[in-house]
Amino acid sequence: MQVIDVTSVSKKYKVYKNPGPVSLKNGIQEIFNNKTNQEFWAINDVSFSLNSGDKLGIVGNNGAGKSTLLKILSRITKPTSGSISVSGKVASLLEVGTGFHPELTGRENIFLNGAILGMKKHEIIAQFDEIVDFAGEQIIRFLDTPVKRYSSGMYVRLGFAIAAHLNPEILIIDEVLAVGDADFQKKSLGKMKEVASREKTILFVSHNLTAVANLCNKTLHLEKGKVKDFGDTGQILTSYMAALQKNIFEHYFETPEQAPGNDLIRLKYAKLTPVLQENQSYWDIRHPFKIEFEFWNLGNTQNLNVSLHVFASTGECIFNVGSDQLTCQFGLIRGTLAVPGHYLNDGNYVVSFMVVKDKSIILYNFEEIFNFEIADFREDTTWYGKWPGYVRPSFSFPLEQITETL
Amino acid sequence: MGIIQRFNTQFKEILHDSELLFILAKRDISVRYKQTYLGVSWAIVRPVLTMLVFLFAFKNVAKIQDLSGYPIQLVIFSGILFWNLFATTFQSVSNSIISNGNLISKVYFPRLIICLSSMAVSLVDFFVGLIVYIILVFALGHTLSLHIIYLPIALVLTIVTSLGLGILFASFSVKYRDLLQIIPLIVQYGFFVTPIVYTSQNLIGSKWYIYYSILNPLAGLVEFFRYSLLVEYHLFDLNMLFISAASTMFIFLISLFVFHRREDSFVDHL
Repeated sequence: MQVIDVTSVSKKYKVYKNPGPVSLKNGIQEIFNNKTNQEFWAINDVSFSLNSGDKLGIVGNNGAGKSTLLKILSRITKPTSGSISVSGKVASLLEVGTGFHPELTGRENIFLNGAILGMKKHEIIAQFDEIVDFAGEQIIRFLDTPVKRYSSGMYVRLGFAIAAHLNPEILIIDEVLAVGDADFQKKSLGKMKEVASREKTILFVSHNLTAVANLCNKTLHLEKGKVKDFGDTGQILTSYMAALQKNIFEHYFETPEQAPGNDLIRLKYAKLTPVLQENQSYWDIRHPFKIEFEFWNLGNTQNLNVSLHVFASTGECIFNVGSDQLTCQFGLIRGTLAVPGHYLNDGNYVVSFMVVKDKSIILYNFEEIFNFEIADFREDTTWYGKWPGYVRPSFSFPLEQITETL
Repeated sequence: MGIIQRFNTQFKEILHDSELLFILAKRDISVRYKQTYLGVSWAIVRPVLTMLVFLFAFKNVAKIQDLSGYPIQLVIFSGILFWNLFATTFQSVSNSIISNGNLISKVYFPRLIICLSSMAVSLVDFFVGLIVYIILVFALGHTLSLHIIYLPIALVLTIVTSLGLGILFASFSVKYRDLLQIIPLIVQYGFFVTPIVYTSQNLIGSKWYIYYSILNPLAGLVEFFRYSLLVEYHLFDLNMLFISAASTMFIFLISLFVFHRREDSFVDHL
C-alpha cells in the first residue's frame, strides 16, 4: 500500500541581494521596485513514492536539500510547487529534545516533549516508566531536577528516550543517531532497528552510510536539490560512494618550470592509487593503496631521503615514514610507498611529503599533495556508530571456550 | 467557500491538539515565576504599585479632582486590571511565534496553538489581580455590583481584542522585526489615550468621541469592564460597546485571515 507520494515537489528560497536584516523598509521597497531577488531552488522537481513498511535512507552532500525535503514532508514548511500525499500519523524527529524547557524538570519535560511530538497524555503516562528506564539510571535520580542542570549527555538521552517511544505510522528522522556516547548510541541504534522491523514507514537522513545500508531498504540520493538516484539501497549506495570519492589522485608536471618546489627540488609526478577489490567501485578500509612520486633533483650530487606524513583531517599526524637514503645525481628520482589494507580507519586523510638532505635539512615540503577519503566497511554488525580510532588493524584476536563447567 | 472550509479544518486540528495547547500554557505558567522569591505574588505587586503611583501623582502632585464621583482607587485599579490583561496578552501573543521559533522550525502542529497558549500567563495574572481588586473593594468599605455577571462578556471581548491585535502583529513580525519595536510604544501610549487612570467623563461630550471610540475600541471596553465591577457606573454606553465589539470582531477576523495566509512562510523567516 502506498503511504507517501511525492509529485514534482520544489521549494524556492529567495536570496536577498542586499544582505542585511529583512526590514520593513526593504519589504516596502520590494513592493514598489521590481528588483528581482535571486532565487535558489533548495528542492527541485523531486518525485518518489513509498509503500507501507518501506525504510527510506536519504543521502547527499551538505546543501543537497535533504533537510528541506524532510521539513516539507513533515509539513513544517510548504513546497513552492508540487504535491505531497501522506496517509497515516506522522512524527518527525528533526532534533533530539525539541522544545525542552531548561527551567522545567525532567518529568515535566517528558510530558511537554511528548505532547510536542504528537503523543497523547495517556500514551505518555502508559509508557512513562519505560521511557525513564530507557534513558538510564542517572535520569531516574534527577527526574525532578530542572533539565538545565543536566549534562549534555543526559539531556540527549532523555530526548532520545522519549522519541524512541513514539508510535506513529510514519517516522521522519534527521541525523538523531549521531548523539550521546558510544554506549547510548548502541542502545538507540538497537532501538531503531527494533522500530524499523515493525510495519512502520521510516524516512531517515544520515551521513552514516553504514546505518543507512543496514536500516533502509530504499535510498534516495539528492544532488543540488534534484533526485540523482532512487531505488534499492545496495545499488544506490554503491554508485553514491563511487561518485563521492575521487579514486584517481594524480599530479603531473611537464617541465620543472611549472612544477611546485624550489631551485633544488621540483615535483614531476605524484599518484595515489587505491587497490580496490573486484566489483567494487569505492575505497573502503579493506583496501591497500600505493603512493608513487617522481621529482627532479636540480642540485648537485646529494644524499636525499623522503619523509612522508599522513594526517587526519583534524590535523593530527597518523604516521610518518621515511624512505631509504639515496645518493642522488642531478636528474629524476622515483619513490614508491605501499600501505596495506585494514590499516587506516574510515575517514578523511591528507598526505604531505618532504625531501630531506643528509637526514636533517628539509629541502622542500610538498604539503597536502593528496586529500582522500576511506569509507567504512562492516559485516554482520548490529552497531553502526563511528568506529573509534585512526587505525583499524585486523589483528588476529581469537576467543576460545576452555571448559563448559564452572 | 474554500476559506471557511480551511478554517474549519484548522479549528478541528486545534481541538485535536488541545492537549498540546494546555501543556504549552502550563509550561509558560510554571516557568514564569521560577527562581523568584515572591513567585506568583508578583502578579499582585505590579497592579498595586501602579495604582499607588497614580494615586500619588493625582492626589499629591497634580491635584487632579476626578469629577466622576467614583472612588478613585477603584477606578484606577479596575482600569489597570483591564489594561494589564490587554497589554500582556497583546505583547506575549505578538512575540509568541518568534519566541517559540525552535518549535515551529522543528515540528508541525497548528501554529495558532502557539498564539493561544501564550495568553495563559496573562489570564492567571488577571485572576490574581481580580482577587486583589475584590479585597480592595471591601477594604475601602464599598460593595461589588450585581453587574459583575457581565464580567465574563467583558473578559471575552478584551481577550478577543488583544488576541486579534497580537495575532496580527505576530503574523507580520516574523518577517518584519521592526514591528517588535512598535509594540511597546502602542502599550505605552495606549495606556494614556485610553481611559485607564481616568474615566471617559471628560471625553463623552466631544464631537469626535464617536471617531475616537471607533479608532480605540479599548475605550468602550474599559468602561464596560468598569460597569461590571463598580456599583452604579453610569459612564458605560451600550452603543459605544457595540462599536467596540464590532471593530474588535473586525480586527479578529482580519487577523485570523492574515495569520492563515502567512503561517506557511513563518519557518522561512525564523
